[in-house]
Amino acid sequence: MEAILKTDLHAKDAHAPAKSSLFWRPTAQSGLISWLTTVDHKKIGFLYGVFALFFFLVGGVEALLIRLQLMYPNGTVLTAQQYNTMFTMHGTTMIFLAIMPLSAAFFNFIMPLQIGARDVAFPRLNAFSLWTFVAGAIIINLGWFMKDGAPDGGWVGYSPLTSKTYAPDHSIDMWVMGLQLLGVASIAASLNFIVTIINLRAPGMTMMRLPVFTWMTLITAFLIVLSFPFITIALVELMMDRLFGTNFFEVSNGGMPILWQHLFWVFGHPEVYILILPAMGVVSEILPTFSRKPLFGYPIVVFSGASIGFLGFSVWSHHMFTTGMGTMATAAFSLATMAIAVPTGVKIFNWIGTLWGGHISMRTPMMFALGFVWMFMIGGFSGVMHSAAPADAQQQDSYFVIAHFHYVLIGGSLFALLAGIHYWFPLMFGRKVSEFWGKLSFWVIFAGFNITFFPMHFLGLNGMPRRNFTYESNLGWNSANFIATIGALILGVGIFIYFAVMVYTFLKGEKVGKDVWDARTLEWSLPNPPPEYNYRVIPTVHARDAYWYNKQHKAEIAQEEAEHAKAEAAHGGIHMPHQSIYPFVASLGLFIAGLGIAVVDHDPSPGFWGKKIGLSMIGGVVMLAGIYFWALEGNEGYHIHLDDEGHAPADKNAAKH
Amino acid sequence: MRLSSLLTSTARWGRASFALGALAVLSGCDYNFWQMDGHQSTISVAGPVARSQLDVFYVTCWVTLVIFILVGGVLAYATLKFRARTEAEEKAVPPEQGHGNPLIELGLIGASVLALVIIAIPTLKGIWYTYDVPEERKADTYEITATGYQWWFKFEYPSEQIAGTGSLTTGNELVIPAGRPIRVNVRGIDVIHSFWVPKLAGKVDMIPNRGNFLWMQADEPGYFWGQCAEYCGDSHAVMRFRVIALSPKDFADWVAQQTSPARNVAPKAGETPKAQFASLRTFKQNETGITDKYDVAPLEAWKAKQFPEKGENGALIAQGKALFVAKTCAGCHEVRGHGAAGITGPNLTHIGARSMIAAGLIENNAEQLQRWIHNPGAVKPGNKMAKGYIDNNIKLSNEDEVALVAYLQSLK
Amino acid sequence: MSSHAGTIDHHHDPSTSTGIPNKKLLMWTFLASDCMFFGALISTHLIYRLHPMPDAPSPKNIFSIELTSFSTFILLMSSLMMALAVTAIQKGNLKSMRWSILTTIFFGSIFLGCQVYEFQEFIEVKKMTITNSMLGTTFFTLTGTHGTHVAIGVLWLILMYVRSFQPPEAGRNTAWFIRHGVHIAVIIGAILLAIFSTLALVHTLHTGENLGAFFGGHFAMLAGLLACIAAGIFLARPNGPVNFGEANAIDVESMGLYWHFVDIVWIVIFTAVYLLEYL
Repeated sequence: MEAILKTDLHAKDAHAPAKSSLFWRPTAQSGLISWLTTVDHKKIGFLYGVFALFFFLVGGVEALLIRLQLMYPNGTVLTAQQYNTMFTMHGTTMIFLAIMPLSAAFFNFIMPLQIGARDVAFPRLNAFSLWTFVAGAIIINLGWFMKDGAPDGGWVGYSPLTSKTYAPDHSIDMWVMGLQLLGVASIAASLNFIVTIINLRAPGMTMMRLPVFTWMTLITAFLIVLSFPFITIALVELMMDRLFGTNFFEVSNGGMPILWQHLFWVFGHPEVYILILPAMGVVSEILPTFSRKPLFGYPIVVFSGASIGFLGFSVWSHHMFTTGMGTMATAAFSLATMAIAVPTGVKIFNWIGTLWGGHISMRTPMMFALGFVWMFMIGGFSGVMHSAAPADAQQQDSYFVIAHFHYVLIGGSLFALLAGIHYWFPLMFGRKVSEFWGKLSFWVIFAGFNITFFPMHFLGLNGMPRRNFTYESNLGWNSANFIATIGALILGVGIFIYFAVMVYTFLKGEKVGKDVWDARTLEWSLPNPPPEYNYRVIPTVHARDAYWYNKQHKAEIAQEEAEHAKAEAAHGGIHMPHQSIYPFVASLGLFIAGLGIAVVDHDPSPGFWGKKIGLSMIGGVVMLAGIYFWALEGNEGYHIHLDDEGHAPADKNAAKH
Repeated sequence: MRLSSLLTSTARWGRASFALGALAVLSGCDYNFWQMDGHQSTISVAGPVARSQLDVFYVTCWVTLVIFILVGGVLAYATLKFRARTEAEEKAVPPEQGHGNPLIELGLIGASVLALVIIAIPTLKGIWYTYDVPEERKADTYEITATGYQWWFKFEYPSEQIAGTGSLTTGNELVIPAGRPIRVNVRGIDVIHSFWVPKLAGKVDMIPNRGNFLWMQADEPGYFWGQCAEYCGDSHAVMRFRVIALSPKDFADWVAQQTSPARNVAPKAGETPKAQFASLRTFKQNETGITDKYDVAPLEAWKAKQFPEKGENGALIAQGKALFVAKTCAGCHEVRGHGAAGITGPNLTHIGARSMIAAGLIENNAEQLQRWIHNPGAVKPGNKMAKGYIDNNIKLSNEDEVALVAYLQSLK
Repeated sequence: MSSHAGTIDHHHDPSTSTGIPNKKLLMWTFLASDCMFFGALISTHLIYRLHPMPDAPSPKNIFSIELTSFSTFILLMSSLMMALAVTAIQKGNLKSMRWSILTTIFFGSIFLGCQVYEFQEFIEVKKMTITNSMLGTTFFTLTGTHGTHVAIGVLWLILMYVRSFQPPEAGRNTAWFIRHGVHIAVIIGAILLAIFSTLALVHTLHTGENLGAFFGGHFAMLAGLLACIAAGIFLARPNGPVNFGEANAIDVESMGLYWHFVDIVWIVIFTAVYLLEYL
């Protein structure tokens, strides 16, 4: 972590006079201020990862409490209200505060490195996204510490259950505002990634030479910017009903609860592809590396990803098969959902094709990646079963659905992200996780996961509904629930081992040099960990699997690099963005405004300017001030000059190259 | 052998099945849960709609099973065959085996599409068949209106009109004629609920301001379990119901009984309300309220409930009847003919004839009924009746409860 | 990305992979997102128009198509002014750009004023509020959101306008900092005061009172308005070299894209909400 935490590569531009400025220019390289003001995509990615893993543990505890309550019929571990809060928060936390930010951690850290860039297109916007995410995460979880309790409307928050009539306290308000902030963060980050991938590619990096992970980042980013507005509007409408008494979902004045479902799921379905495509991208990097062959059918894999993204907007009502849409709509969505299974299946075929004829090296990342392929396949099959609407009429809202989505989310997304952590650990931190402990954590997780969720298929087919805090002992559900709880405890142990190993490795793990896995993509050409400026010289890309090509043509690349190094030095050195506090300030403003809207009671007196409005307006002013100073402070940055061997003065990483 | 490869090479399923077996033994009871033949099974179905839905499910099962065997087989084979066994093999560069094979790709895409077509055809047929009663059976259809409340079901029978009142109205136990198509018009009064009786049909949501419906049929007389299947608040998990299918004659009898006003039990000469009775025992949190009475021969047990309880005490019942009005129960619950006309809660005119109370949750016997009346909030969290007690300052002594129980049990 | 002397190619940025400037690509992508945002609101409105309650108010009795046509025209004109501002700064013509931005602000403010008037009419005269009917809910939310977008655009235009007066080395110039804050404040003040005085004037004319009463009763407001306008003129005098020129055209262009988008959304709203009722 040295280069990321403690770099002092600020060889300031010798020609600029010392400036004192109205705008505070933070220059701290370590400590709290350096983290709050960083605009370095690698540090931001690291922060996303830390928060994501923290909330993953929170969501895991929520899950364990759920399973403990359901271990036996007529359980007494949780009351009904506590249980309902638990499954709401478990879903919301895992989706928005664990998987999405963990994916974002990789988007941030890895993607710019893969395209040969020095950072994202808008570094301060990147920081803003991170801190707004943290703000949203806090607001969603504030309820735990308040009388009103945490949200309990389900992660889908169907109206009218979430209306003021049926959910009078502030827990739902916090859910709404927290999600709104998370939406802002996600959209801002995705806009940044889209511009970065389209506009900041190294010379020679055509779109069809992009690593698949970067492609999936791009498609995911498009999905986010195009689908999140729908949940934004749904939440705005719900909030207006709750705060101002509007009629969007007010049945007595003509409101239609089904509208919430449509708006939510137009977002919600692309959301699940947002959750899985990055994972597919990670697996598409790992399988070729550990098979020592290129990805089979790269253009088809890319095209499938794009198709999944596109078609993902046409299937949302398969979450609504039981809402009485009529035969035509039901048939249309059923067929569309089946259609989307095709590009998904194609990817699996291509992954198998990648393995075929290779030299498969069963390291920990590869085991997680293979586990992904198997588990995602099973989850995909139960998805196909759901797509047949008549069958879904029995499966919907039962444990069958829970089995399905945990197979694709844990067996799919989580496995791939856990694989990615192991895979890119040496690059990010210069240390490698021990094979034994890595594999042990894999097997315990794999076993625990399957023992937990496979029985749930049977529970669903045997008629156990979801979101139930209790069940009777005469329905034939006892064994499966008991086994599932045991599985969850095993899964918990596996996750604990994984985390313990990761923390240990981070602090004391075996140090390794560059390119441990003999990999294929550009990020591996960098020192481990990469310096603040990433590439000493922006690489020129000659082929897909750019780094693999470079390794086969070392002399050519070395000469090219030497020429480019001279050109860059002549142009003024490496241009770096300044750190800035204003993204944090803007996020802070949003946080305060969110608190005002969600948490503070409506004060009937003193009239309009009560605490609620006041706090919200203060937040708004802080946000505007943050944005305005951000705009005014300018982004001219500073320059780093590297000497002939590529070292900056006092470069602590000199020994690592 | 290095530990890491030992872990890798151990048969994974060997360990998993051992664990599973041990757990199965430990958990006792329904360790053959994979038979999926419980009361709310979607597999051991009892009507044409559920059967049609099950058939579509089986098609998807077979198709995905075949795909799993083929694809999984190739995946397993590739993983095993192309393993690098030694360090040297790991490091050796394999011949660059090309970047794809368009022919294989197209072939596989074609095969996938074909597999989906195999699923799509029965799916489309099933969508149309399960949507509404088939044309040729429309004349025989029996209509029901089911309304979802937090946290109980109201059932109305538009074809059974009672002079001066309207449709026959009951709650939580839907009695239907067997062998006839039933169209259930589902409504939601407050939040979204869902009507699900798995053995007879898949669910349809009860959405406020929306005119959904489903159709189902019980081929033979029987007693079926149902549950609300859309999260609807605190007591969603304990919002349950029953469907009882009767032969035509039994159904006609039942309708006749239900459409008559509430039963009166005259006190016999010299009868007094009991002077002494045991007080209600304490119940654990979330304690079950059912026995296996309705597990083995539920229809017979339900039929037995249609007849008066043994040892009815007319005086006690009269006391309960008076209390029913005095304690404002009549404000929420209708007992047709006894001057109670509330509509906020379930209709109790013939509550004594139901097998379960509190929306299919606890058995309709003296102890559970008193448990319910004593503390509804403990049985169903967030319950409106409990709130009603607080809002109306209702206090019930043990004697009051016993009298009310006797009265309600007399309402056959 | 150091600045080059000589003419800038405003249509091609050689430092990016595609030649499209980063800010422009960012704005286009954001607008795609905003499209979905308005799409959802418009869909909500249209869905509820298909399922009105039996006693629902009829839009034909409430809307004033004349007023809305007028404000639509005004907004369209503002887009023309915006386009002129962009071409002006691309040629380095600062004065022309400032005038064009001021007129854009002017027309945008007229649009906002018309909306305020319309909302007041609907609430006070037609008795349609945001809570008492579904039409009120969807209408006010949709047009209110659009109006908020316009207001944000006007604010952005004001900030850009004042920014165009920034002297070099402004980071160390406290006097400029205060001055530019005052400049922004007087323009905002002028707009608000102008809107409220105009609305008050219209109200006076409607109720038939004489103009003398209007001027007397709103003396402070009108005086304030004149003072703000005078201050604005004063602060806009040339005052030495400024740190704003052709190199900033990308920022003005991005802002222009936003403004045009908001205009196009209004065309869609005008059609889907107003015109559709008269088919």
